[in-house]
Amino acid sequence: MAQFLEQIINGLVLGGIYALIAVGYTMVYGIIQLINFAHGEIFMFGAYFAFLCVTTFGLSFWVALPLSMAMCAVMGMLIDFVAYRPLRNAPRLSALITAIGMSLVLQNLAREIWGARWRKFPVEATPTVLTGNAIPLPGGAQVSFLDVFIILLAVGLMIGLNRLIHLTKIGKAMRACAQNRVAASLMGIDTNRVITVTFAIGSALGAVAGVMVGLREVTEPAMGYYKGVAAFAAAVLGGIGNITGAMLGGVVLGVAEALGAGYVSSGYRLAIAYIIMILVIIFRPSGLLGKSTATRA
Amino acid sequence: MPRKLFTSKTVILFVAVCLFPLIAYGSDRIVDLLYERGIALPLPSGDYILRVVVQACLYMLLALGLNIVPGFTGLLDLGYVGFYLVGGYTAGLLMARLGWSYWIVLPLAAVHGALWGLLRGAPTLRLTGDYFAIVTFGFSELLFRIVKNEQWLIGGPNGFVNDIPPPILFGYQLNKYWQQYYHILILLVLTIVVVHRLQHSRVGRAWAAIREDERAAESMGINLREYKSLAFAVSAAIGAVGGAFFAQFQVNISAGVFEFWESIFILCMVVLGGMGTIKGSILGAGILGVLGELLREFGGWRYLIFGILLILIMRFRPAGLLSKKEQD
Repeated sequence: MAQFLEQIINGLVLGGIYALIAVGYTMVYGIIQLINFAHGEIFMFGAYFAFLCVTTFGLSFWVALPLSMAMCAVMGMLIDFVAYRPLRNAPRLSALITAIGMSLVLQNLAREIWGARWRKFPVEATPTVLTGNAIPLPGGAQVSFLDVFIILLAVGLMIGLNRLIHLTKIGKAMRACAQNRVAASLMGIDTNRVITVTFAIGSALGAVAGVMVGLREVTEPAMGYYKGVAAFAAAVLGGIGNITGAMLGGVVLGVAEALGAGYVSSGYRLAIAYIIMILVIIFRPSGLLGKSTATRA
Repeated sequence: MPRKLFTSKTVILFVAVCLFPLIAYGSDRIVDLLYERGIALPLPSGDYILRVVVQACLYMLLALGLNIVPGFTGLLDLGYVGFYLVGGYTAGLLMARLGWSYWIVLPLAAVHGALWGLLRGAPTLRLTGDYFAIVTFGFSELLFRIVKNEQWLIGGPNGFVNDIPPPILFGYQLNKYWQQYYHILILLVLTIVVVHRLQHSRVGRAWAAIREDERAAESMGINLREYKSLAFAVSAAIGAVGGAFFAQFQVNISAGVFEFWESIFILCMVVLGGMGTIKGSILGAGILGVLGELLREFGGWRYLIFGILLILIMRFRPAGLLSKKEQD
């Protein structure tokens, strides 16, 4: 029972992280119908940026986190500007291949700059609040302060994002673009600006997820690929283009992965994400919360 | 576009290609002779040249196979390496563990690959665009995980199969580089003939119609299910043949070879040369296959360059070096 509870909490933490990455995929897809393969690499760069801020520049963790978010936001906007914007009206296949190329470039850039070896976030740089003792739960299970922090942070950011989308002017513009980009631009919305903001927000949230994974696990060049694919599966599960769906999908996938890795086989950790992704696409392409459309071109 | 494959030009090219090992080993002789006279020429050995060329030819075969799905039918396949893996492990396991002859294993691998192609194709027949791409990607990653994890099946950790014996023909072991060269050349020419015949037949025209507009094609009476399945099966069979060749060529194989990025590497070749053309696939695979081998020592920078190449081609020459328009 204690083990089960711990796996569930583990899954919720993973789910929070996946949700943070998945909204980045889903927001971009909702507006420009592009699977931004490079988003996983932005997440990985987020982890590295925070790691470098803390180790090389000796900054406090609480400065490093927003700094990393800002850097990733700029990176996301730059990638859109350099690679995707020129292809806005090209066939969708071209943009998808460009995104894969971008991912290839960024992942290997990180590998060449920082080496393929994984790095552990230095304990002395981690805020003392997060290294605190585990909190005992009824039934003998335990949960660490860091896990509680990640869950709270993810929930807080998700609520914030939800408010942003539904209450602000830019949020309204984003929803309009997601419904119909041409009509939105005819209504006087600067769609390019909306797309830029979308990339910035998605990348900043991805950076938060990266820093959290860096704190909880390790920072390595391959993390963007592994976690990125799982988060993408979460976005598909929730219904791609649907932000609430991405959050839900993240949590479901996180729990499924934790339980699968705990009870079935840890070698198939990622395979669970792939299987869920394939099954959803084949049997319910619109995902858990998406509107039902027969096929999505 | 010439409908005939065996024009005087291609025949001359073919003869030149057949004589290639003579040139490679001839340069070896010249280097040796000059070395005896005290002149050292900085030329690579004939074996090395042939090894690089065999590798490039293998990539040409794979690029031709991959090209069928995204190039002819317009569906982006991100998991082609899955069929390469199926062929590689079919041949590797049957030959190394059960001692079967390569000449039985090779067609068996092709059939096995085609089966997987149909298996993957069946649920994805309705899908187009991104969704098809994602399923193909997930499929090959699943196969990769299976060979990496299932030790009872593979017999070693990380999908390691070693000591795959060379094919035996009339009592001779075909394990020298020039023998491998002719071996892959025959497979490659067969593939080119098959793909060329298919492209310029009723089937090829149906594929092109599906690529241009699926709905219009269907309303013209093209059976989408049949023609798409055929494309998947042929493409997969070619990939598996490549895998079987690779297994006996490398002697030892491991799961690491069949990672997702290998699919992207092959896709990169097809895109570079020009999707939907035979010449383009061969050209792209030739360039990147040789380049990939020469840049091997640069490690990750190599993939970085390929990534930049993909982005640049899509931006400035989306139809590839040999665009379809120029060929038609």
